[in-house]
Amino acid sequence: MGSIKRRPRKAPVAEVAEDGFENLRHAFQARLESERVHFVSLSAALARAEENPSWIFEDLQFRAHRLQGGASIFEVDDVARAAHALEEAAVCASKSRADNTDEKVWAALVTLVQLMGNNQGAAAATAASVTA
Amino acid sequence: MLPERKRNLLEDSSVDLNDTILTQRLEAVSPCRVLVVDDDDLVRARLGALLRMADYEVESAASGHDAIRIMSAKHCQILLTDWQMPDMDGLSLCRLVRAEPADSYVYVLMLSVRDSKQDLLTGLAAGADDYVAKSAPIEEILARLEVARRITHVEKSLRSSNRENRRLAVTDALTGAYNLRYLMKNLPRELARSQRYGHALALLSCDIDRFKQINDGFGHEAGNDLLQAFVARTESCIRKSSDWIARVGGDEFLVVLPETDVAGAGRVAEKLRKVFARTPVPTHAGAINFTASIGITAVEAQHDIKSAANLDDLLRAADRGLYASKKLGGNHATASGVIISKSKMNIKKGGSNGIN
Repeated sequence: MGSIKRRPRKAPVAEVAEDGFENLRHAFQARLESERVHFVSLSAALARAEENPSWIFEDLQFRAHRLQGGASIFEVDDVARAAHALEEAAVCASKSRADNTDEKVWAALVTLVQLMGNNQGAAAATAASVTA
Repeated sequence: MLPERKRNLLEDSSVDLNDTILTQRLEAVSPCRVLVVDDDDLVRARLGALLRMADYEVESAASGHDAIRIMSAKHCQILLTDWQMPDMDGLSLCRLVRAEPADSYVYVLMLSVRDSKQDLLTGLAAGADDYVAKSAPIEEILARLEVARRITHVEKSLRSSNRENRRLAVTDALTGAYNLRYLMKNLPRELARSQRYGHALALLSCDIDRFKQINDGFGHEAGNDLLQAFVARTESCIRKSSDWIARVGGDEFLVVLPETDVAGAGRVAEKLRKVFARTPVPTHAGAINFTASIGITAVEAQHDIKSAANLDDLLRAADRGLYASKKLGGNHATASGVIISKSKMNIKKGGSNGIN
């Protein structure tokens, strides 16, 4: 049985034009943007949910898990790692019945949303330079 | 010359498959079908595109239930499945695949974001052959699939060899007829079945007339040609679905005719006798005419009469018929009934239904 550890990979944006999967990458970038909006909405909901944030932790966990899988396969490693961190934080918060101020969840959520935003910017810049 | 898709793959800087052995494998191995199971449509699409470039045939399923439906319709050598999915997860899918008897082995590779040792062990315990994290480089996923392709290819070869060995174990190598081992195993079954259901069963004991002289006069190769022609002509006259022929000695054969009474067996024997004698057989020593002697026997058990026939009775009766045909000068079919009313019956020389 071989290793299943994470390994560093090249920055995803550098490969866009190389591997012939542009359409799929564009679709994934579009999903990242849409997911980023969802995560922002969930963060707003979490900030408001003072009494029972458990459903938000569960939703965060589900979305982060799914995002991690997609980002891994599309080799957007930083997003995959951040999504993994958010999933773990959401699981812990859910198990410990944490309130809506759970620091780990917020830290992971902010990191992920920022990374997704950066990724969008980088992808847009790459697309613009390819077009130019 | 590599196919274009494969060239692209090898030239692709992100997928370093420029390995001689791997490339040779990709060339040598026949198409291999991979079923990609993941509830994420983009993940399925990305994996599917990568696999097609690596010359896999790809099917995809969005859930465990979809996967089962596809696998029941077509054989997929490799199952590449996610773990967490709605309705049926990857572990349940693995267990189900392992529990179902399959014609060929299905190699299961689990691909999940869950990457702890415990996750790996859980996946393998559920029946996966390999486990790889989604965070692994694409090259690693493809390399592991290549291992899966090699293993399924070897398994297919072994299965094919086993099938051939089983066939050879019960077949006479020269003529392609069944051998004595097959006869001794299956004739009792035929007899038991005939007795259980009250159905008839007939045997034709056949022997090529003056075979020794033919062998001595024309050589063994010509004799072998004759034996092959004998079996081929016999097989052309019997029902492929139920009747069969076994070689029991040098030029002695037994034709087994389930669900056939002595009259039906007599018609088959007569047809054979005519087919043998009608045209000469082209052999290494030129065209040779031949005839055969045939002994006929049958169990004609009926539902209200329990057959008391045993195998030895049946074989002895067939031999008696054969001996009688030989005594009549060959090219005869003689019936020697065993069970029920007709105890001794003869078919006239050259006659059709002349049972005495």
